[in-house]
Amino acid sequence: MTGMDWNAALTYLPYFLEVLLWGAVTTVICTAGGFVVSVALGIVFGGFSSSPSPLLRGIAYVYVEVFRAVPLLTLLFIIYFGLATIGLKFDAISAAIIGFGVHGGAYLSEVFRAGILSINKGQSEAAFTIGMTRLMAFRYIILPQSVRVVLPPLANFAIGLLKDTSLASAVAAPEMMFNAGRLASETFFATEIYLLVALLYLCMSLPLSYLSRSLERRMGKGYAR
Amino acid sequence: MTFTQFTTLAAEWMPELLVAAGHTLKMAVAAYVLGAVAGLLVALAGRSPQRWLSTPALIYIEFIRGTPTVTQLFLIYFSLPLIGITMPAFEAAVIALGLHYAAYMAETYRAGIEAIERGQHEAAQAIGMTRSETMRHIILPQSLRIILPPMGNSAISLLKDTSVASLISAPELMLRAHDLTSEYYTPMQLYLIVGAMYLVMTYPLSLIVRRLERRASKGYRTGSS
Repeated sequence: MTGMDWNAALTYLPYFLEVLLWGAVTTVICTAGGFVVSVALGIVFGGFSSSPSPLLRGIAYVYVEVFRAVPLLTLLFIIYFGLATIGLKFDAISAAIIGFGVHGGAYLSEVFRAGILSINKGQSEAAFTIGMTRLMAFRYIILPQSVRVVLPPLANFAIGLLKDTSLASAVAAPEMMFNAGRLASETFFATEIYLLVALLYLCMSLPLSYLSRSLERRMGKGYAR
Repeated sequence: MTFTQFTTLAAEWMPELLVAAGHTLKMAVAAYVLGAVAGLLVALAGRSPQRWLSTPALIYIEFIRGTPTVTQLFLIYFSLPLIGITMPAFEAAVIALGLHYAAYMAETYRAGIEAIERGQHEAAQAIGMTRSETMRHIILPQSLRIILPPMGNSAISLLKDTSVASLISAPELMLRAHDLTSEYYTPMQLYLIVGAMYLVMTYPLSLIVRRLERRASKGYRTGSS
């Protein structure tokens, strides 16, 4: 391949799109799976780090600091290649979802902590006076109210996660970027293919970013900030 | 593997890994400088009343923020040769990461600039300053307080994102670990060590950022968020 040959690339376009869109399905699966795990871990550790117990706060601190400091790619390699050597074998997609989950959980626990701390202390005190336990107060009073604070950064996180799933290509999870690499080595239209991939990612991330912007506007409504 | 075996191997790997960590730091610093400078230009262009300056800047920001780092890296690395520019993977990675962070830093600058009250602009105009003088002497120095903490956070994520450069075989820590893995077949040990090395590099930065955040909000009633 000596230069860009857009006409030749164009004849391949349906084939490229087919392979890439199949990859996009896996991308969406990785994103959705990673998001669910991240939110679950984020709520647990966010709850820990805003709890009065120094032990729980310590656990949350270590979790957040360690998993935020290690690059996502390193984490994926530890889970996919590393854990396999001690007998814990995951397929690439599960490994990716676990990796995105524990990594994202560390980010989101900070988000949830901020959301929880933004709720007036009087709310949990009122919950205690009507006989709720700490866990009930957290579940029924604090968490639902913190959604307003948490939702906009959550949407931003989803956008970041969608793009980060491209790293799963490094552990051969058949998502969009991985399929693009396959196509590129098959047909040598690297530039055209990666441009197409960029456009497809834009098609997925731009609607999300409009959603996050409208969430930010809507969630700020009715509250003096 | 016993603990003694592990320590012997770790001692064997360490010199190579430390050299590679040096490359990682070099890559991060170079990309950061590029990003900080290019980001400021993009931010100023985006605020310009001239449409031919502001529109490309806004499209640039949306494109970069909507597509994955890996895709941008591959696009730059595999496409530049087609227009006659060949460069080593290391330089390509610096350029790709720099241009990637430029978009995020531009948004940071924008937030910093917009946080300064209109009155400051008006007062500067009233004493006869031009637009660029106002920016240089009045607005930018004051917005520094708001800009510094997110700029520190960018430094942390940039340092971690250099790991992605291993995917185009740029010499840095992750690539070295990858090479050693194929030599020793000990991915678990190697990637855990590498993860710890990233932690050692980013943790001081994250302490500095936290201090910056505290200092930034000092003496001001509203926080810097």
